[in-house]
Amino acid sequence: MSHVPDVKLVFKRLLSMKSGLNISKWRARHFSQDVDRSPKNSQKGSVTPLPPLSEPMPHLPPVAYSTSKSEDSITEVTVLSNGLRVASEKKFGQFCTAGVVIDSGPRYEVAYPNGICHFLEKLSFGATHKFATRDVMLRELEKHGGICDCQGSRDTTVYATSADSRGLEAVTQVLAEVTLRPQLSAEEIESARQAVAFELETLSMRPEQETILMDMIHSAAYKGNTLGLPKICPKENVHKIDRGIILNYLKNHYTPDRMVVAAVGVEHGPFVEYVQKYFVDMKPTWHTDHFEKFQPKVDKSIAQYTGGLEQEECEIPLYPGSDLPELSHVVIGLESCSHGDPDFVATCVLNMMMGGGGSFSAGGPGKGMYTRLYTNVLNRYHWMFNATAYNHAYGDTGLFCVHSASPPNRIYDTTLVIARELANMAGKVGDIELRRAKTQLQSMLLMNLEARPVVFEDVGRQVLATGKRKPPSFFINEIEKITAEDINRVAQRMLSGRAAVAARGRLAHLPALQEVQAAVAGAGARGDGASTNHGRKINLFRN
Amino acid sequence: MLKVATTLRLLPKQGNQVRFLATAVGYKQALVNVPPTRLTVLDNGFRVATEDSGAPTATVGLWIDAGSRYETSKNNGVAHFLEHMAFKGTSKRSQTDLELLVENMGAHLNAYTSREQTVFYAKCLANDVPVAVEILADIIQNSSLAEPEIERERGVILREMQDVESNLQEVVFDHLHATAFQGTPLGQTILGPTKNIKKISKADLQNYIKTHYQPARIVLSGAGGVEHERLVDLANKHFSGLKNTALDIPELAPCRYTGSEIRVRDDSMPLAHIAIAVEGAGWTDADNIPLMVANTLIGAWDRSQGGGANNASYLARAASIENLCHSFQSFNTCYKDTGLWGIYFVAEPMQIDDIVYNIQKEWMKLCTSVTEGEVDRAKNLLKTNMLLQLDGTTPVCEDIGRQMLCYNRRIPLHELDARIESVTAQNVRDVCYKYLYDRCPAIAAVGPTEALPDYTRIRAGMYWLRA
Repeated sequence: MSHVPDVKLVFKRLLSMKSGLNISKWRARHFSQDVDRSPKNSQKGSVTPLPPLSEPMPHLPPVAYSTSKSEDSITEVTVLSNGLRVASEKKFGQFCTAGVVIDSGPRYEVAYPNGICHFLEKLSFGATHKFATRDVMLRELEKHGGICDCQGSRDTTVYATSADSRGLEAVTQVLAEVTLRPQLSAEEIESARQAVAFELETLSMRPEQETILMDMIHSAAYKGNTLGLPKICPKENVHKIDRGIILNYLKNHYTPDRMVVAAVGVEHGPFVEYVQKYFVDMKPTWHTDHFEKFQPKVDKSIAQYTGGLEQEECEIPLYPGSDLPELSHVVIGLESCSHGDPDFVATCVLNMMMGGGGSFSAGGPGKGMYTRLYTNVLNRYHWMFNATAYNHAYGDTGLFCVHSASPPNRIYDTTLVIARELANMAGKVGDIELRRAKTQLQSMLLMNLEARPVVFEDVGRQVLATGKRKPPSFFINEIEKITAEDINRVAQRMLSGRAAVAARGRLAHLPALQEVQAAVAGAGARGDGASTNHGRKINLFRN
Repeated sequence: MLKVATTLRLLPKQGNQVRFLATAVGYKQALVNVPPTRLTVLDNGFRVATEDSGAPTATVGLWIDAGSRYETSKNNGVAHFLEHMAFKGTSKRSQTDLELLVENMGAHLNAYTSREQTVFYAKCLANDVPVAVEILADIIQNSSLAEPEIERERGVILREMQDVESNLQEVVFDHLHATAFQGTPLGQTILGPTKNIKKISKADLQNYIKTHYQPARIVLSGAGGVEHERLVDLANKHFSGLKNTALDIPELAPCRYTGSEIRVRDDSMPLAHIAIAVEGAGWTDADNIPLMVANTLIGAWDRSQGGGANNASYLARAASIENLCHSFQSFNTCYKDTGLWGIYFVAEPMQIDDIVYNIQKEWMKLCTSVTEGEVDRAKNLLKTNMLLQLDGTTPVCEDIGRQMLCYNRRIPLHELDARIESVTAQNVRDVCYKYLYDRCPAIAAVGPTEALPDYTRIRAGMYWLRA
């Protein structure tokens, strides 16, 4: 009889094995809820000698909070003896953003190998005469809780730092050093060369095309001059650019009359003093250098809008792991106006009214779902993956463009749909859509200006362009004044010019430039919605 | 002036980050020059927290203590499905009415779901705050959940799934959770498996709302041009009707961590995407601050940055000088009772072995020999990053909401400052020794992963037979 318990045990084991193998039962388990012990708990217990974060720390000094309201800020501007402009604005809080905005960018590179500004971005905040290495400079900034960044657009280069405003003097010195007295050692230039090469490689591997397309549409719109010069360093120039060329460019372009030193969240008086000390009293390194061999003049020419076609037949990388189809991209551009033009605000409202975005872009209401490129284009043509309007405004011109993407076999229809939608801008403007676009532009303006770096950039750019800053309230009022006639007027003005087209991807079905031009101009001249719609029907289903 | 496209990189990067890189505890400008965070609790337990800066714009939002962690394998995906249904109309207004109302105000309405939190927020002009709060109240209480909309949204979510698949970083982090928290709700994805998305019903959604959207688990957070009293009035008006069905608040089971790995080898991809992590600390654990300092010491880098040779992080220097990878990013993701602390990197197949060796070398240095100088530098960087992150009404609102759920308070700045200041090299070594040294890592790798060392080899790199 002694074997009886054994048999029971064996049975039990068998049973438990069976239940163990029963997969559905396993799945039904309520996860770890039936694990009765929690092994981690034993070793938990923090090794940091402080109460948990949910409880206050003992023995802290009492703190007085401020209840300050944001005052409408005034921008103060001072012009120093050498023509350098200093602009600042007070802002609530103890952090400041300070930087240098320079009238420099690829648009001035015509006499040089293109790509210098791309190199300068990578070389920014490097070793200087005062700070032997980048590391020393960063440590100086870190002492004041600072971070730095350099970014360029086609006509402006911005060096900026954010730091505790008590470190303003140190920050100003860093800014002066990196803009006027960089070392640009051979080693640094090599590493910038590598970074540029890496970036080119990354750009070619990524499915996102915006950066390349924006270079292409500018090149189509301003063929071979000023704004048409590429922002991305062309491959063949990566190994051409050297220290001499860069220094020569800096000497000619980083001059006091082309610079604004701006700050947000500081007192104007002391700031001007520091700028005088580090930007004016201390000279740039190229002050004494001479370059006899190569002395180009600064390119002062006004941007010449040419229009035309820029295309690249290539394979666009797919989004990895996704079954999104291969896409071809087309951008259609029109000459708009400069940011000093009386029609500038109306152009911005028109841009907002066109709106658009990606057909699968995330986000809830508020992303512009009732803008024209959604309601008239993306919602109607399911094969279109993207349709977005942009307006690039510069000192002497502007470029209004719509970027669209669709599978290669649809690129013909896509291009003409967009062209007609552009033509349609001269047609009827609804009261509701205009009101909406105006409100959205106003709120976008105020929301962007929540962030200090944006305020800084705005102050810097405006002072560089006009010598003063118009406050947000000015633009809010200007936007409010825009009427349907204004919109029609700027649309007519744009549509009367030539179109610029940039395309990338498989382009066998791309319509000819003349066809795009006809679609943009034809309906624009008629200027009424009915015939535009009529035109759309005939042409769209022709092939 | 009206330039939208380019903003400086000084701005914090937001967006999909919230899903896993919730590193910041929160920090705010000057230690005395900040408006206080004010908190009011309504009778039903609903919390209202604000920071009034008097700005012309504002962000208000609902932070709800609910997410995919509260789901079972059967209804995994419900929380996220609900987020999608939120903007599909309510008993009061149709989807179009809702969209037009928001668009015409120039406002933005947004929602996201993480593993532990569900968030609905609106960004608007300060004058429109009352409308925004009313909309938020409407969408979480009266969502119509109409059958045709549910059917349509299934397709949208399946589509979104493909989008997520195309974001390899998200894929890797989903795999990392799946292996590190295998067999527990934290291992589930936020979107849920396809089979669940295909069968989630109106009853499932209603049931989830009833169980989880309870006033005691919701925070109304506001930042920018919001007056506390006015927001409390609005909350009373729109949320005081909510009742706690107290008894069935589900008790959160602890999620067990398992050192393990998932490799999804695909040699057709050019680059391998790999995450290696150990179990970190829960939200409230005081060890979190030193862990974040350690995190900052490892840092982040990508090869287009250039000048990495001067980076504060040793790993970044090694990576840039010896060409070890395309990019890396250290992370510290917290949950209520656990967390993941580790690194994510993208590398070419032949670089993997070297970068893993270098990562582990740096990790072991953290445990054994990190110096005061290095720690001081990292503390400064950490403070700076936290501080500068809170620029604008949305980041502040987000910070208030998350902290209210995680800590049931907002940590005052001077306290956070004091906590970071109190971290010493010894403290970092202790904490790293506890969480990192001789611990079993969780590994997720996607792409050409052949050259990733075997698990046992990586495990053997988690200790040193010296030092």
